[in-house]
Amino acid sequence: MHIPDGLMDPIVALVGTVEFLAIVGSALALSSRKTREKDLPRVAVLCAGIFVAQMLNFPVGGGTTGHLIGAALLAIMIGPVLAILGMTVVLIIQALMFGDGGITALGLNGLNMAIIAPLVGWGVYSLVHPISKGVGRAGDSIAVAAAAWASVFTAAAACAAELAVSYSVSDGAYGIAGAISVPAMLGYHAVIGIGEAVITVGVVAYVRAASPSAFLRTGVSPPTKTLLVRLTSSKVAMASVAILVVFALSLPFYFLYSSSGGDGLEQTMEDADVGERDQILSSPFSYGDGYFTALFAGLLGFLAVALAALGVLKLLGRGPKRD
Amino acid sequence: MIVGHVRGHGHTLPNPDEHSKSHWFGRLDSRAKIVGVFSFVIVSALLTSAELIAASLVLAVAMATTSGIPLRPLSKAYAAALPFIVLASLSVFLFAGTERGLEMLGRTSACVVALLVLAFGTGTFDLFAGMRRLRVPSVISTLLMLTYRYILVVSEEFSRMRTARRARGFRGGRSLLDRYALKILSFTAGTVLVRSTDRAELVYEGLKCRGFSGDITVWRTSVLGRNDLAFLAVLIMSSCALALAQTEVMRW
Amino acid sequence: MVVLELRKVGYSYEDGTVALKDVDLAIEEGEKVAIVGPNGAGKSTLLHLIAGFRMPFQGEALVSGKRLSAPTADEIRNSIGLLFQDPDDQIFMPTVEEDVAFGPRNLKLGDIEDRVQRGMTSVGVASLAKRAPHRLSYGMKKRVAIAGLLAMDPNLLLLDEPTSGLDPRSRSELIKLLKSLKRTMLIATHDLEAASEIVDWAIVLNVEPVMKGTMHDLVRSSDVLEKTGLEMPPLPRIFRALEKRGYAIEALPLTTDQASAELTRLIDREATHVRRRMNGSH
Repeated sequence: MHIPDGLMDPIVALVGTVEFLAIVGSALALSSRKTREKDLPRVAVLCAGIFVAQMLNFPVGGGTTGHLIGAALLAIMIGPVLAILGMTVVLIIQALMFGDGGITALGLNGLNMAIIAPLVGWGVYSLVHPISKGVGRAGDSIAVAAAAWASVFTAAAACAAELAVSYSVSDGAYGIAGAISVPAMLGYHAVIGIGEAVITVGVVAYVRAASPSAFLRTGVSPPTKTLLVRLTSSKVAMASVAILVVFALSLPFYFLYSSSGGDGLEQTMEDADVGERDQILSSPFSYGDGYFTALFAGLLGFLAVALAALGVLKLLGRGPKRD
Repeated sequence: MIVGHVRGHGHTLPNPDEHSKSHWFGRLDSRAKIVGVFSFVIVSALLTSAELIAASLVLAVAMATTSGIPLRPLSKAYAAALPFIVLASLSVFLFAGTERGLEMLGRTSACVVALLVLAFGTGTFDLFAGMRRLRVPSVISTLLMLTYRYILVVSEEFSRMRTARRARGFRGGRSLLDRYALKILSFTAGTVLVRSTDRAELVYEGLKCRGFSGDITVWRTSVLGRNDLAFLAVLIMSSCALALAQTEVMRW
Repeated sequence: MVVLELRKVGYSYEDGTVALKDVDLAIEEGEKVAIVGPNGAGKSTLLHLIAGFRMPFQGEALVSGKRLSAPTADEIRNSIGLLFQDPDDQIFMPTVEEDVAFGPRNLKLGDIEDRVQRGMTSVGVASLAKRAPHRLSYGMKKRVAIAGLLAMDPNLLLLDEPTSGLDPRSRSELIKLLKSLKRTMLIATHDLEAASEIVDWAIVLNVEPVMKGTMHDLVRSSDVLEKTGLEMPPLPRIFRALEKRGYAIEALPLTTDQASAELTRLIDREATHVRRRMNGSH
């Protein structure tokens, strides 16, 4: 999914770069308070591990092979903030060592693979895990699998969206027409995502058994229990924020797309798992903006209901435990 | 349509660092290279006119051929980037015509070639050290340097594991339904990660034992010489020329 | 001057396992001491503890008179050089000279150029100055790591299994090197032969100290060796066997020099006996 330079419309690339820098900057700021000096080598060594793991080929069928992204894995192991930094580092190394992924495209690649992928992975895991935990040992694996698949699929969807937006914004000079990019990216990565899910489940199980201390605790135990602090230490809340952030990131692209006079975005797609929705741009079929707005509102509504339900469950004492 | 997005690096890391001092491009100061090549790539990514794209492509290829960098690994890496390029160009051919398609092909190729020249013609650590000197935050540059250092270590361990695996008859699986193969792959990946985290503790101690306090800098720092400034000038000037020409084109 | 003093030092892991108990130790400047023991005896842990990486611990540790504690750990560590078992864990830079300079530069020491040169020369890697460490052999990497430590001019060198993983040639070269260095050293090892060549005295550790003495004392104590799962090295073992057969052995030799001296003495004595008997029977 590493996009080279010259493929995306410059404005799309610019928006992507700005968003990427803003989020990485926040991750840096957030981490320098929490991160002890001690975590830097661990992140580096894990990134090296992820980098090498990304070179693993897994068979997809029909002679093709796929590669891991590892964003969900990293996020589950060291938490979302460090995972953002880690994936960013991996992407930079790939771009500057192999030319894998462009530098004007670093913002968009970073958005897809270093921000959206780990955030969605961690978000889905944090949301599903407390619920699936009750199902027994397979419960954790279900959460991990869902997280890994969702992270790959959402990143691919974002990438397809960026390509489609580039195409329509530039009148075909850049990007890939949505009619091709969307089915190609989504179809391929739906399958790849399965491989990633299976391998991530296997790896997490292995690491948990072999070396449970490898997982950094991502919770913070605050001395005072103000609402803000309680919220930021509640994984569920943070997970929901993460997923909402991902959607917020896509808004500028939506506005770009609609401002170019292009057709409305169609927001569909329901994942197999809990309430996670991805965006797909489908051009050049026209659906009114009203349809889109309604769908978007519906999505937010669904999320709100889901959060409320989780909150109720928690009150009843069967919900997720704070870290 | 399954796009075979196979990253063409194979399983052994090509090591640009081995050869990077043997050609003039490799001996240039990494700061000059970063600024120069980045400017070129950024401008080239904006070009939409066929003539300008051709010009930038010619420049990129010229840089590649005159740099003295071995061309085979370069071409292989270029080929690895092709899937996306081809997909894009194909869609452009289909939807917007041949000329636009060729423009897409040319533009992405120019950028990819230029970046590959930078990547293969510069020692990776030098690149990161150069970035640090260009004021990239020390957290990022240190992470980059350490990660790179341990990529070398971990990939050696990994290839040893692969050999051991193959020696015991593992040939890779055929499809996602091959549960055994995927299980072995997860174990391999898992082992790599566990060894990595075990090592991380020691790496931290190793760093502290030698007075590390958050920033890794180079001792033998390079000074910008005439060659560096000349290279920088050529690239900046061509980038400006292309950029100006592009703005002219856009006004039309 | 006492460089290192440990009084009733103990350490337990988070899960409660006791790694070290009641360790007493005092090393004078210039002494070379070995900690010998089987795997899992706590030797590594002790070295890492002295370097300030195992806090909190029981007992007291004084390095050059300064008491080791969480606030003083960083400062004390600057005067200690710890050689890790795996050199890859402590080599970070892309060339040998950069790596040797890494420590001194971080500690903001003076005349880096001189330190680096001396460090590299004393271990014999000066010719590899511009080479990439990760491409060197294991033995060479160890030397580079040692050079990096020496360049920081430590008061105390801690070496964790320095001879492990080395091929015979590299091992004997490293032993020669460590013998020649005039530094205070504490070497954790289960390689008794190497220890015999290098150190002045040793302490046997199996979570707790079992015995303290010279290496000669050590190889004489077969019950200690038995209990701690250590093997008597081949040279003293041969002479022990000869001793059991009735030959008079002065001291169990530990090094080849000592062995050839002892063997020569033995042969001469036997030759004299034989001559006397032959003369006597006439």
